Amino acid sequence: MPFLKKLTYIRFSFLLVFCNIFFASAQIATREYQVKAAFLFNFTQFVEWPPQAFSTPQSPAVIGILGKDPFGTYLEETITGETINKHPLTIQHFTDVDEVTNCEILFINISDKNKLQLIIEKLKGKNILTVSDVNGFAKFGGMVRLYTKDDKINIQINLEATKEENLVISSKLLKLAEIIKTDKK
Amino acid sequence: MLICGIVVLTTCVIFFLYDYYSFRTSTRQKLATYGQIISNNSTAALAFESKEDAEEILNALKAEPHIIAACIYDAKGNIFCSYPLAYSLNLLPVKPQAYGYHFTSSSLEGFQPIAQGTKQLGTLYLKSDLKAMYSLFKIYTIIISLILCFSFLLTFLLSKFLQRGISTPILALAETAKAISEQKDYSVRATKLSNDEVGSLTDAFNQMLTQIHEQTEMLNEFNQNLEQRVKDRTIELEAANKELESFSYSVSHDLRAPVRAIHSYTNVFLEDYADKIDDEGKRLINIVLKNGKKMGLLIDDLLAFSQLGRRELIKTKVSMNDIVTNVWNDIYRTDENRNIKLILKELPEAYAEKTTIQQVWVNLISNALKYTKNKPETIIEVSAEEKNGEIIYSIKDNGSGFDMKYYNKLFGVFQRLHSQEEFEGTGVGLAIVERIISKHGGKIWAESIVNEYATFYFSLPY
Repeated sequence: MPFLKKLTYIRFSFLLVFCNIFFASAQIATREYQVKAAFLFNFTQFVEWPPQAFSTPQSPAVIGILGKDPFGTYLEETITGETINKHPLTIQHFTDVDEVTNCEILFINISDKNKLQLIIEKLKGKNILTVSDVNGFAKFGGMVRLYTKDDKINIQINLEATKEENLVISSKLLKLAEIIKTDKK
Repeated sequence: MLICGIVVLTTCVIFFLYDYYSFRTSTRQKLATYGQIISNNSTAALAFESKEDAEEILNALKAEPHIIAACIYDAKGNIFCSYPLAYSLNLLPVKPQAYGYHFTSSSLEGFQPIAQGTKQLGTLYLKSDLKAMYSLFKIYTIIISLILCFSFLLTFLLSKFLQRGISTPILALAETAKAISEQKDYSVRATKLSNDEVGSLTDAFNQMLTQIHEQTEMLNEFNQNLEQRVKDRTIELEAANKELESFSYSVSHDLRAPVRAIHSYTNVFLEDYADKIDDEGKRLINIVLKNGKKMGLLIDDLLAFSQLGRRELIKTKVSMNDIVTNVWNDIYRTDENRNIKLILKELPEAYAEKTTIQQVWVNLISNALKYTKNKPETIIEVSAEEKNGEIIYSIKDNGSGFDMKYYNKLFGVFQRLHSQEEFEGTGVGLAIVERIISKHGGKIWAESIVNEYATFYFSLPY
């Protein structure tokens, strides 16, 4: 075979391998976020929001995503047609925390710790369940942290934080979770 | 006891069946309840894929030892976790099936949705064994057997008691009745043992006995009365009879002598003085002789007749054929002018007195010969027939016969149905025959058509 052709082949196969790895890792990531999407939805079943969280009895229940959306279409698929207490579920994407008004669950996909603390402060009083998979989220005052260990997604819950926002978490959920206290500095 | 057994058994079976069905229902409900509780508690564990927590929840089923297996399926229908941990996954259903619990041959199992709010998160499977039911059955069987035994015992004791109260007195009454009937002692009375219905029966029975007794006494008295009267009458009759007999005997006996004298002396006179008497005289003397002879015959017959009543018969087995043959040979004299034929059939042996029976045949056969003398051919038939325990002998002649109109005179003493010119006779012969046959315990009768035939029948008992 002429040398040029061989080279093309090598390049091509490398590309393929690289793509596979990329997609594979992308797929693994997607699998994790599939489960997390399911979790996000399931949280709506095991958490009670105070009545002031909803403007009207028919107003939608919003699952917000602050930052990059890692769920792809999965979250949308999961929540299609579902309700909490007759409030239909919808998804909203936010880029800035100030945009967040009516929201029930907010998935915060921002890794900057300083920013996180600010965000958490700003969200106070809005009865929003904050969820993230960032390390130390619960310790900062975030309510629910999802972290992966041994191919299993574990839950950490900051009970103080939820109580401050008048969110009642079902004991069934609490049983599964690790209860975290906010780090007092 | 049989009735008691049937009733108890039926009742027990009905209750047993009812309980069985209600137990089944309650067992199923219980399992459904467990299912509800477990599924309710395991929603979070299933939603958040916490296998450990789900297993922990299922392990709570340890509290119910009859639940032998359980498992949770996720939303996709794959087994999420199972209980007990050692239970082989092969034995669990691969995919969840229709909801609800049902009985199989050896277990109670079913499926139940696990849902939080309106969202179905998965399915729960529960399987329970039927040991509780079976142990219940065992207990029931034991209870039924005990009840049966107990009630049988009770019935047995009760029936024993009743026997004493009812059957025994009744049987005693029956015994008394039987004894009375057998021994015919109507003065016996049954003892009254109690004052109840059986007592009244005893009273009625005794009353009846009293009546029977009285009536029997009355009958006996009456009977005795009759007997006495019959005895008296018999004595009277016997006396009268005896008188009559001795009278006729002495009459005939005493008459005989002079009659014989008249006869013999007249004969001698006729012989010795035959040349001294003229024809008219001879004729007159002959008339005297003839009459004397007749008187003699009459007296002989009367004597024979009277003698019949005096003594008992000495019966033996006699051959009628022999007697008839002898009599015939004695009486029958060959006569050229007459055509006489005797048809003698096979006669069965008789139990009778030979001499008197011979006399019967003598009289009957001589009558037959006498009354057929005017016929061109004399046919005399002697035969016999066994009928109703008697032998009936008959003698038929084709002679002048007699008018049945005067049948009642046939066997009368001195009764004659023909004149002396037609047929001579004393009128005693048949009376003698009748007497003899009566004494033998038989009967004599006759049939006849005038100028055609006359048949005389007599019966002799065996």
